[in-house]
Amino acid sequence: MKNMIKHAVCAALLGGLGLVSPPAPADNAKTLQTSDGEQVYQHVCQGCHMSEGQGAVGAGYYPAFAGNPNMASAQYMALTILTGRRNMPSFFEYDSSGDLFWFTRVALSDEQVANVVNYIRSHFGNAYEDRLTAADVKAMHP
Amino acid sequence: MKRRNLLRMIGMTAGSAAMYQAMSSLGLASESPYKGPNPLGEAPKGASVLVLGSGIAGMVAAYELRNAGYKVQVLEYNARAGGRNWSLRGGDNYTELGGFTQRCQFDPGLYFNPGPWRLPYHHRGILSYCKKLGVPLEAFNQVNHNAYLHSEKAFGGKPQRFRTIKADYQGHVSELLAKVIQTRKLDEQVSREDQEKLLDSLRQWGALDRNYAYVKGETSSLRRGFAKDPGGGLTGRPVQSEPIALKDVLDSELWMGIPPGEDYERQTTLFQPVGGMGRIGEAFGRDLGPLIRYNAKVVDIRQDDHGVTATFEDTSKSDSPRQTATADWCVCTIPLSVLGQIPMNVGSQMADAIAALPYASSVKVGLQFKRRFWEEDDEIYGGISYTDLPIRNISYPSCDYQSSGKGVLLGAYMWGLDAMEFTSMSPEQRVSKAVEYGSQIHPQYPGEFDNGIAIAWHRSPFALGCFGTWSEEDREKHYDNLCRFDGRIVLAGEHASYVPAWQEGSVTSALDAIGRLQLRAQAAGSQT
Repeated sequence: MKNMIKHAVCAALLGGLGLVSPPAPADNAKTLQTSDGEQVYQHVCQGCHMSEGQGAVGAGYYPAFAGNPNMASAQYMALTILTGRRNMPSFFEYDSSGDLFWFTRVALSDEQVANVVNYIRSHFGNAYEDRLTAADVKAMHP
Repeated sequence: MKRRNLLRMIGMTAGSAAMYQAMSSLGLASESPYKGPNPLGEAPKGASVLVLGSGIAGMVAAYELRNAGYKVQVLEYNARAGGRNWSLRGGDNYTELGGFTQRCQFDPGLYFNPGPWRLPYHHRGILSYCKKLGVPLEAFNQVNHNAYLHSEKAFGGKPQRFRTIKADYQGHVSELLAKVIQTRKLDEQVSREDQEKLLDSLRQWGALDRNYAYVKGETSSLRRGFAKDPGGGLTGRPVQSEPIALKDVLDSELWMGIPPGEDYERQTTLFQPVGGMGRIGEAFGRDLGPLIRYNAKVVDIRQDDHGVTATFEDTSKSDSPRQTATADWCVCTIPLSVLGQIPMNVGSQMADAIAALPYASSVKVGLQFKRRFWEEDDEIYGGISYTDLPIRNISYPSCDYQSSGKGVLLGAYMWGLDAMEFTSMSPEQRVSKAVEYGSQIHPQYPGEFDNGIAIAWHRSPFALGCFGTWSEEDREKHYDNLCRFDGRIVLAGEHASYVPAWQEGSVTSALDAIGRLQLRAQAAGSQT
């Protein structure tokens, strides 16, 4: 609740300055507190894949989601999130209690993975109708 | 308290990651393998090398290969040399992926290092190039006993001075151990004679009184600081301070801020280049001069029996035709986050290794304030305050002490989910949040804030990430394959080292690679 209040204040402040502001991500959360697909996207995925799913190109690129044939497969997307792909880290939730170092992987729950996959596949110009469930994601654990 | 949370709080730098990874892989903390200048000897007549990337690894390779007599050309994506070795100063523009452009508005002489920011004394490779290139160094203050340790959940959110937490933690622990000895509970493990020595050392180490108690008094105040400092004359009588109770020290979890400066990678002496870390890359760039081709985006790398050809686009011109550069050998230092997307005809072992390495998320924020209130009001000269807020670090400049005018500090240095969430914000939002969080530690923030700049490494157009995060398993499986020559191509960079995220990893990996290149070139030369 406190986080939500802070969001509202922050958004209002930035709005007042006339800055274009996508929703400000949560404060202090060490595991993402929301399971809403849109929120997961805006707090984590959009860092690289951008607010409209348009991706980006520099010396290398982040793939766009619009018009991307890989979006046809919800399983491909969930597996990519679970196992990572090239420079993209894995978001698989695992027992990190034995980790020796402090920058443990950022973990998303099965529900968060399913919801964000469904969100991407129904936004950014995508209109796939089949839906992934948390149980589907669980069955794909690496 | 989970161990990982503890480590998360204490290790707030790429450095500790590097060291913990290295330690877990090697089983011990080892010194940099750099053993002094390592002249390659003479290049075979007419031999040439194409270096891809003008970060520290690429420029060390180019510098040494050129000096050995190789014909060297370097292709660089950016319009500047240095790669992640980089300082932002007033007037600099930076456009991140997604198109957000920031213009740095710092006053003349002030800077912020988005990437590496400190040089341990035992990183002899990078230090030696500073010396060779005439880059002056100054001390980087890591541990500042008067900086803060802060937790939202401890002491009502009031930041505590490092010296009080350290003194009280150490004092209470010493008193407890002294009690264990005095109640004869260590008789089986420690001889009577050694117990006496141990007691004596605990009294000194813990600032205990003559009864081996850690209590309010001159002894403890000389360690943790006074409530009123001693002075002269009639007003000079000191007031001793009251130690914080053991339970409160433990509950606060602020003791987690004690170890960072004790780790090998952050022990005294650390250095920084005068004027910003980017001075190293700039000096290398000047030295190599026309050997570096800027604004060159590599789009294809081909090798055959005779040489290596890189195809590149000139990003400073729209619609310019693709160009090529060819040489006998190639030292490729492009970060794997980028290289993994460039077509290159290497075997599956190297290709699999390139595809295996995820890159860490990290965000740094530089904040300019109208005055150096941390010095003027808080008596903090350099060093780092640690907090459990998402900003994690506030690092004060280790230079220009007591100068009047504005000052720039590092207002955030974050990792993990915090970094991903900040990466997802616009640069303006990142700066605004860093000011908001920092205000909890320094209430002067809102009134003194001038301007700021925020760098999210996953949005860096030239690196697409901060550094390669090797897991123990991946390193076992892929590391050697990543470092081995594939035909005429060898890779170098922090990703090809056991010192990830440190410039020393780049230097030592480049020297290792060109040493092997020289042997191959000589062998090839003797066959013709």
